[in-house]
Amino acid sequence: MTTTQTNNAPLMEVENLSVTFFTPAGAVRAVRDVSLQVQRNEVLGIVGESGCGKSTVGYAMMGYLPGTTRLGGSIRFEGQDITNISATELRKLRGNTIGMVYQDPTTSLNPVMRVGPQVEEVLRQHTRLSREQARNRTAELFESVGLAGPRRIGRRYPHELSGGQQQRGLIAMALACDPHLLIMDEPTTGLDVTTEATILDLILDLKDRVNAGIILITHNLGVVARGADRVAVMYAGHVVEQGPVRTIFKNPRHPYTAGLISCVPQPVTHEGEDHVLRNIPGSVYSAQEETKDACLFASRCPMATAQCTASAPPVVDAGDGHLSKCFYWEQVNSDVWSAAETTQSQAKDPNAAPILTVKGLHHFYGTPRRRFVFFGPIVGRPVRAVVNVDLAVKPGQTLGVVGESGSGKTTLARNVVGLIHRTSGDIKLQGEDLGPGVEDRAKGQRSAIRMVFQNPTSSLNPKLPVSHALMRPLKKFQGLKGPEARERAAALLQAVGLEPGHLDRLPGELSGGQQQRVALAATFAGKADLIVADEAVSALDVSVQAQVLNLLKQHQQEAGTSYIFISHDLGVVRYVSDDILVMYAGHVAESGPRNSVLRPPSHPYTEALLSAAPAPDPDAVPTRIRLPGTVPTLRQAFTGCFFAGRCPRKVGDICDTTPPPAQQGPDAPSHVIYCHIPAEQLKELQLQRSNGKQDEVSISA
Amino acid sequence: MVRFLVRRISLIVVTLLVVSLAIFLVTEVLPGDVASMILGQGATPSNLAAVREQLGLDRPAPARYLSWIANAAQGDLGDSYVQRRPIVDIVKGRLGNSLILAGFAFLMAVPTAILLGVWAGIKRDSLGDQVISIGSLVAISLPEFVTGVLLMVVFASTLHWLPSSSVLLPGTTPLDRPQILILPALTLTGVLLAYVMRMTRANVIEVMQSHYVRTAILKGLPMRRVIFRHVLPNALLPTISIVAMNVGWMLGGLIIVENVFSYPGIGRLLLTSIQGRDVPLLQAVALLIAATYAVSNLLADLSYSILNPRIRLS
Amino acid sequence: MSDILITKSSPPQSALLTVWGALLALGRGFGRQLWMATRTPAGRIGLPLVALHAIIAVFGPLLAPYLPTEFHLRDQLSSPSWQYWLGTDEYGRDIFSRLLSGARSIITVAALGASLGIALGTFVGMSSGYKGGRTDEVVMRIMDGLMSFPALLLALLVLTTLGSNPQNIVLTIGVVFTPRVARVMRSATLSVKTLEFVQNARLRGEPAAYIIFKEILPNTIPVLTVEASVRLSFAILLASSLGFLGLGVQPPSSDWGLMISESRRFMTTAPWIALAPAAAVATLVIGVNLLAEGIRQAQHLPLIEEDISS
Repeated sequence: MTTTQTNNAPLMEVENLSVTFFTPAGAVRAVRDVSLQVQRNEVLGIVGESGCGKSTVGYAMMGYLPGTTRLGGSIRFEGQDITNISATELRKLRGNTIGMVYQDPTTSLNPVMRVGPQVEEVLRQHTRLSREQARNRTAELFESVGLAGPRRIGRRYPHELSGGQQQRGLIAMALACDPHLLIMDEPTTGLDVTTEATILDLILDLKDRVNAGIILITHNLGVVARGADRVAVMYAGHVVEQGPVRTIFKNPRHPYTAGLISCVPQPVTHEGEDHVLRNIPGSVYSAQEETKDACLFASRCPMATAQCTASAPPVVDAGDGHLSKCFYWEQVNSDVWSAAETTQSQAKDPNAAPILTVKGLHHFYGTPRRRFVFFGPIVGRPVRAVVNVDLAVKPGQTLGVVGESGSGKTTLARNVVGLIHRTSGDIKLQGEDLGPGVEDRAKGQRSAIRMVFQNPTSSLNPKLPVSHALMRPLKKFQGLKGPEARERAAALLQAVGLEPGHLDRLPGELSGGQQQRVALAATFAGKADLIVADEAVSALDVSVQAQVLNLLKQHQQEAGTSYIFISHDLGVVRYVSDDILVMYAGHVAESGPRNSVLRPPSHPYTEALLSAAPAPDPDAVPTRIRLPGTVPTLRQAFTGCFFAGRCPRKVGDICDTTPPPAQQGPDAPSHVIYCHIPAEQLKELQLQRSNGKQDEVSISA
Repeated sequence: MVRFLVRRISLIVVTLLVVSLAIFLVTEVLPGDVASMILGQGATPSNLAAVREQLGLDRPAPARYLSWIANAAQGDLGDSYVQRRPIVDIVKGRLGNSLILAGFAFLMAVPTAILLGVWAGIKRDSLGDQVISIGSLVAISLPEFVTGVLLMVVFASTLHWLPSSSVLLPGTTPLDRPQILILPALTLTGVLLAYVMRMTRANVIEVMQSHYVRTAILKGLPMRRVIFRHVLPNALLPTISIVAMNVGWMLGGLIIVENVFSYPGIGRLLLTSIQGRDVPLLQAVALLIAATYAVSNLLADLSYSILNPRIRLS
Repeated sequence: MSDILITKSSPPQSALLTVWGALLALGRGFGRQLWMATRTPAGRIGLPLVALHAIIAVFGPLLAPYLPTEFHLRDQLSSPSWQYWLGTDEYGRDIFSRLLSGARSIITVAALGASLGIALGTFVGMSSGYKGGRTDEVVMRIMDGLMSFPALLLALLVLTTLGSNPQNIVLTIGVVFTPRVARVMRSATLSVKTLEFVQNARLRGEPAAYIIFKEILPNTIPVLTVEASVRLSFAILLASSLGFLGLGVQPPSSDWGLMISESRRFMTTAPWIALAPAAAVATLVIGVNLLAEGIRQAQHLPLIEEDISS
């Protein structure tokens, strides 16, 4: 074991940890061999894709591994091996000297207990505070994590708080007894981008404020780059590389780390040429598989040799506490995953006649309801999910739609394909009206618009073989049957990098990435003119996400298909789109050519989104524009601007009273910003901020 | 809350209308005329006509339904055809007896069931849990007339500890001879206990696997507190609706149990009215049982929404 | 109702083919569920118990030493012996023979009644759930109305009016179970309906019948199998309870419920008359319930509230 030059004993030291869960479906080797250390006042980021065992490491440190488990190695916290202590002693650590924050705040709080008492309970358990003192201390804690009106919040039930507030409550709970170690398991995952940014700010703030070691477990490289001092990269239950954050990002010494970094689209603020995303072939080494005496990454590694499959690589020290588990660590550089290639931007005609146009689209969910069922004042109003949206998609081009949850982007997609019936508005495909429901549309119109869904597992029928998903559209749209259809289906599979043999498999036998590629092949089957992709890569790991994004781009170049690409991730949208539409609270905030939208002048909401996404680069200077409050309820029409309630650039009463006019951007006539501030002035304000000092426009509440 | 109550109560009214219509349709419109049902096969045409006139059957069906339901709403259920006196008078005492029996069984079964269910759920897969689970499976598999007869064989015929029949002298109530309640109540208890126990156990197991219980454990709370403060309040909420559903089952069970033990309740009355072909009485009793069921469902819904903050405050 | 299932674009014979294909898949699915259930302890006990009863139902009358209706006037109320394995009743009829012949009637009636209820309930529940909206609301309101009767009460009402015979009992059980099955299958349909592969099928322009039977139904087979076995056990309970109340199979044919009812008069002198049919009903229902439990465990399905709303 290589030791760093520290003199004092580490706060937490994990050595050769292995965890195997025994489930009815077989043994799951969640953690195979993990050694790491955390000091006080240090943030260790543990990063890896799903199933790599990172969360299990976190729970093992809490001594919490329910079910039938086999545990090997040691976990020493302040000198005490917690794999080996009594339940009573463990209880004294949990919530007291070790605090934990969880991935899903909504399900992690007791739904029938008020939030305050849930925190007081920890204090009463581990300290001698009286009921009254505990209540006061809880209020202080809430205030310190940025919850306004702490006493009022304490009396609320969890469902009355927003996701961000719930997570702040849980952080307060973890901090209650001044822990020496704080474990955060995906603390920002599942939150909206702008909320994620404020929670990440809070975590960074804690780092300076509390005298504790922090373990930040996440799949998000941007979060680690911003938050961690040191990083451990996990793959298949191993730490394959660890070291200081800058070294890991700038000079990775394991091909997996290098691959992960080059899979992530460039930061949204990136100017100039884009490089093609590289992807790691194949899929993650399954936790169901036995541990072999070999490098478990070898099958996906471009540098692998016979040595890699013959024996497991040792941990080598690349200097300055930078450890790698690779035989060829010295040869790793950013080009191991093929040379950098810039995206070919074919000359696309920005003035081409659109293939699809949407005009004045409205979609309201529900009907008004009255207080006493048949009479009385109206209490339940419909949700105004999409209000007056216009858009146009040009042939062979991609319209990216970006927005947070509740922005109406999915409702928009479902209206376009006809899964739900619009309340009003026109949708035209190549100049012809499209009926509201898919059942009302002609066969040709149905085959012209296809859709890719977010969740690959549920987009394929688990009870029917892969061939069903491919041959059914071939039959429906092209009249192909029998062997002919099968041949065509096999060709489609090959086009997305799978084999004809996959035709007879059930979807459950494929990995998530393979499933999504089957789903793509099925949408390609109909020779569609337009593909609507709704969060098509959001559920995928970064390495697989890059595969799918590249497949989509490749198909567009070959077949000239247009896309509507919907995502909450501005980085991904930027990578695939020609035009971008930004949605907020059911309204279009801004739309136009990609570069015009991403550069000043931008709508203040776009500006906040741009500043919220953490860049996977430890040197990136974070811009701090944070939105206070939460997305408004959509049951009432806005009298003024839809964004007025949270806008950091609000100019005055006009924002609350008058709907914003459409301002034309200076660079392109199709660039439209819905704001009261004139475009020129917006541009000036925004350039001032990015050039000048960090004038903090607004801090989260 | 007001809105909720208005909705639920109007729903009950709708349900009762549907139910009464169903009872009316089944008894009067299905092939087999009431008069011929009453008189049996040997009826002469003139007898039939007389009965029809007496019951007002010569009027059109919708009119008969409307006057029946309008009178019922005012508490007038008509006269029994066989006993020739107001049904309300016949039913009153019987309904009381049934409620006493059901209440007695309920009080024995529900607390025990919840205790056992919680215990089995927490000690999942332990020996005790397995014994309880198998026992409850056997209990729900035994029809009441089997359990009842078995209990009778053991406690009445063999051991002579308890009376085998629960007949009451006119003018007395079951509370004057509480020992007659024991066997019928035990019989009713068996299945009820098993159902509520199984569902409680399932709920406890589900809640034990929830994230918020994990949070509670990782707060370092003692297991006792985790269970009482975090598991039980969540696991017992759905138990309320399960108990209410069981009221419906118990009403069915009462029909059997009262007949096994000749207990003078509403279930026995139902069978008497069937055997005596007393159609007005049959209709009234059926309506009464359905109404009881509907009201118990309303009470369950109410208590559920009062105890569940997610509904209460929204 | 038919316009829900068959849209203009699909000729009737293709809908029939779809239904036939779905039935085949259903049969295979049920078989698979039973096979998987035998890997759990509950299923391992339950399946043989049910199989034993089924064999008795088929071959019982061949095995019976006497005719079930044959009077042995010299051997009234005799206790179990080599001559009468389970004793005789007040007319000297052989209990064992009556038990065997009763098995066929109760199992046939219960199985047919449960099948009818499952078929109707599945159809109503799945169509209503898939269709959604107002139609769904109205259909489910009617089903709720039917369910606000205790099952036994509704069965008694119907049988009193129609008269009791095996066909009517089957019909009654079917009617009583329809709303309960419909509710379970509706919620199963609702949970599958929102999944993307169903949306995909809609986007391909598949007719509703195709989506319900080919895409959704196979995914509800575990739920449906559990529901079927639970319904079978309730059907046996209901049919035997009706027999006990005198509304089952009419004498002189033998009926387990009726045998128990009549035995009460001889409780003290001849308890075996009651015990034999009681044990028969109990083992049958326990077997079916164990089987249901085994299927549930094999599929990791939760216990649901509907299970108890007999």
